[in-house]
Amino acid sequence: MFRRRIFGSPQPQGSRFWRVFRLSVLTVALLGAGFVAYLDFRVRNEFEGRRFALPARIYAQPIELRAGLKLSLADVADELRENGYREGFREGEASWYQKDGDALEIAERPFVFWDGPQGERRLRVTFSGKSVVRVQDQLGQELPLARLEPLPIGGIYPGNNQDRVLVRLKQVPPELVLELLATEDRAFYSHHGFDLRAIARAVWSLVRGHGLQGGSTLTQQLVKNFFLTPERTLSRKLTELVMAVLLEAHYSKEEILETYLNEIYLGQDRDRAIHGVGLGAEHYFAKPVEHLTLAESATLVALVKGPSLYDPVRHPQKALERRNLVLRETRDVGSITLEQYAQARGAPLGVTTKPATGTSPHPAFVELVYRHLRRDYDEADLRSEGLRIFTTLDPRVQARAEAALDKRLAQFDREKRFGDPGLEGAIVVTDSQTGEVQALVGGRDVKYRGFNRALDAARPVGSLLKPAIYLTALADPAKYNLLTPLDDGPFVWKSRGAPDWAPANFDRQYHGAVPLRIALAQSYNVATARLGTDLGVSHVLGTVQRLGIEHEMLPYASTLLGAVDLAPLEVAQMYQTIASGGFRAPLRAIREVTTQDGKPLKRYPLAVEQAIPPEPIYLITAAMQGVVREGTGQSLKNWLPPEIAVAGKTGTTDEQRDAWFAGFTGDRLAIVWIGYDDNRAARLTGAAAALPVWGDLMASLDPEPLALPKPEGVENVLIDPKSGLRADSGCDGALELPFMNGTAPVERAPCASAISTAVDSVKQTTKSWWQKLWKR
Amino acid sequence: MSPRTIVLALALVAACASPPPPEPGPPPSPFSTLPPHPETPAVASLIDNARLDFQAGRYANAAASLERAVRIEPRNPRLWQELARVRLSQRDFAQAESCAQRSSSWAGSDNALRYENWQLIAKAREERGDSAGAKAALDSAERLR
Repeated sequence: MFRRRIFGSPQPQGSRFWRVFRLSVLTVALLGAGFVAYLDFRVRNEFEGRRFALPARIYAQPIELRAGLKLSLADVADELRENGYREGFREGEASWYQKDGDALEIAERPFVFWDGPQGERRLRVTFSGKSVVRVQDQLGQELPLARLEPLPIGGIYPGNNQDRVLVRLKQVPPELVLELLATEDRAFYSHHGFDLRAIARAVWSLVRGHGLQGGSTLTQQLVKNFFLTPERTLSRKLTELVMAVLLEAHYSKEEILETYLNEIYLGQDRDRAIHGVGLGAEHYFAKPVEHLTLAESATLVALVKGPSLYDPVRHPQKALERRNLVLRETRDVGSITLEQYAQARGAPLGVTTKPATGTSPHPAFVELVYRHLRRDYDEADLRSEGLRIFTTLDPRVQARAEAALDKRLAQFDREKRFGDPGLEGAIVVTDSQTGEVQALVGGRDVKYRGFNRALDAARPVGSLLKPAIYLTALADPAKYNLLTPLDDGPFVWKSRGAPDWAPANFDRQYHGAVPLRIALAQSYNVATARLGTDLGVSHVLGTVQRLGIEHEMLPYASTLLGAVDLAPLEVAQMYQTIASGGFRAPLRAIREVTTQDGKPLKRYPLAVEQAIPPEPIYLITAAMQGVVREGTGQSLKNWLPPEIAVAGKTGTTDEQRDAWFAGFTGDRLAIVWIGYDDNRAARLTGAAAALPVWGDLMASLDPEPLALPKPEGVENVLIDPKSGLRADSGCDGALELPFMNGTAPVERAPCASAISTAVDSVKQTTKSWWQKLWKR
Repeated sequence: MSPRTIVLALALVAACASPPPPEPGPPPSPFSTLPPHPETPAVASLIDNARLDFQAGRYANAAASLERAVRIEPRNPRLWQELARVRLSQRDFAQAESCAQRSSSWAGSDNALRYENWQLIAKAREERGDSAGAKAALDSAERLR
């Protein structure tokens, strides 16, 4: 019977089945097409993303070659070598250097700086001892300044710590490609994403009990790389197969091959995954991929099947066997001759024993760079745009800082003088005039990207806060100068709601009346506590803020003696302002950023601000020079001669848990912290534990003497330390000390004669009058 | 006349009769003022580049060259002064003033340089709307003459 219908033509009942069937097929087809469309989108997205995701590249500061530069020939050669330059003249090429007596010939590579490109050029640099005498171009003309290309020191990578040395297909030796195809995918150029014969072989091998062996084409392997989780289910395999076909539909064999060569996982270097033959060549053979030999390429291809199993460093025997298998397969398909095979097979593995560096040899500094960059760039751009970042790191200062810390901590561990083994430390070194961070050491194991103590270990600063208190006092010249007697007698601070605070000196003694400069030099807690409370804690904290500490500090009396936790970098900011004559310069780690092609993007300019007037800064610097000359820092004389006139401060905290030393010379400021991570009580003092590290470091850097320019409002007066009165050259142990004009003692010391004191005084007045007259 | 007055008078005569005392030489005294030093060729070449960029209006490049120079000779007051000029053109008046002050801190007894710095500071303050401060700076400049 015909069923009554509202629409359409009448239909026989029997064809309902076919209708449903057709509908089902259509639905499945639509779903299938939708799924395929989705996969298509995913494939293209991933592929494009992978092809163009470039990590940011970070550079140290460039060497600026010029007459008078304090670098030796070895220093410059070392950096060139580190930067991939080879020793030995090469006709018609760049990227080499050659020693020639006391001179260095350099064939510089082209490089794009923030302020523009610099072409290939030849330089001749002549040295004398530890400094540069002359820089010449290839015509022998003297160059006033020649900036070398900077050393790359790390990068900022896509989330899973992948690194890339992107290579173009034409850079890869053809033998490597032939080996790859012979071993992994012989039908690469003829299939459309999957190879039926390879699959059949794999199934056959599975059936025969040899396990699941390959069967995947290079395209399928590349697709497999796109997924983060390594499932090996049938549905996953099918999805990968479809995606491989889609990939082949959209992209050429060359594009797929090139991306494969840049993607393939070849091993692990600590926290860094080695992806791509470019990085593989550098990591295993310390050479660019172009220079790989037949045997070396085979070793890389061998890794494709099992980067851990065939790791040439950990399993050299297995790696060698697999390498030779690769060579054999390549010979079998006729890609190499019997002779080539024989020669390559006989070659040793040839892997370099470069120490593992992870993503950077200086992870602590890179961390600082990253944090500063995050203020201006978002994650995605930092990790994928190929930005070039030019930093302030000085590789030599960094190397010496790392060495100094390592050496001393090892010694302390052996001696157990300060407690059990396991001491940790941190160092920050800056340019004292510009605030550029030249070195950052975050801990003892410098290669390990772990807890960055220089940035994040907030520890009580103890006596390191004292200069801020004394600076506050000296800014009030009517009441305080370097000779003002302070009371180091018993002191109890009562404050409502808090227990009585009775600070004690390190030697548990009271010293009565002491001159202000001595109270700082000897770091007397009691005199300082009294001074600080007299001045007012918030007044002192105001100074600390002006010095550059943004960290909020509680206005308690105990804060005066450093019961405040600061990280070494913050301490460095505070001392930076003192070291640069009162001109606060925010500490900087980055100078400029360009795009991957060298287009300038951003510059971080030098910025200064007069936070404290120069006169009290001059006085506090003199007082801090006293710390080193005759105070708690006097053991520094074992490292540096008195002419350097270091200004410094030792710091020791409650129960001797922390040892600090902060000090600056004419050109650098360095902060050293030593302590245990678990903050246990120890036997540390700033002078015994931190000062030696500081001394080792600075002594190795050939420091400039500290000689601040005397501000107009300050005069130098010869003082007899015993009486605290004016002296003359006839007095024993007379010391020249600065005073704000009109605040120096007028009375003469017993050792000084009346005439000479008067003459000295008149000479001083005449000198200033004469200078004014001649406007010199 | 008391003996003391005679002694003082004699001392005064003695002091005046002697030639002007020479500028203090370099350390042992750590507080002596530094003798002015001539620019090295490296710094001179960077200043030249900075000048060219400055005249062409490429202020960021001029600043970059001057900062390179400052890293080589941080105590050179002229460099800081040039930086102050560039900052003025970049309309960063706070930095212009700070750099001029930094320049003066290294100027020693070079009053001509200090005078120029006060002029720069006056201009920077004027641009920020601080007329009183600008006048004070000009007064300081005049006091040097």
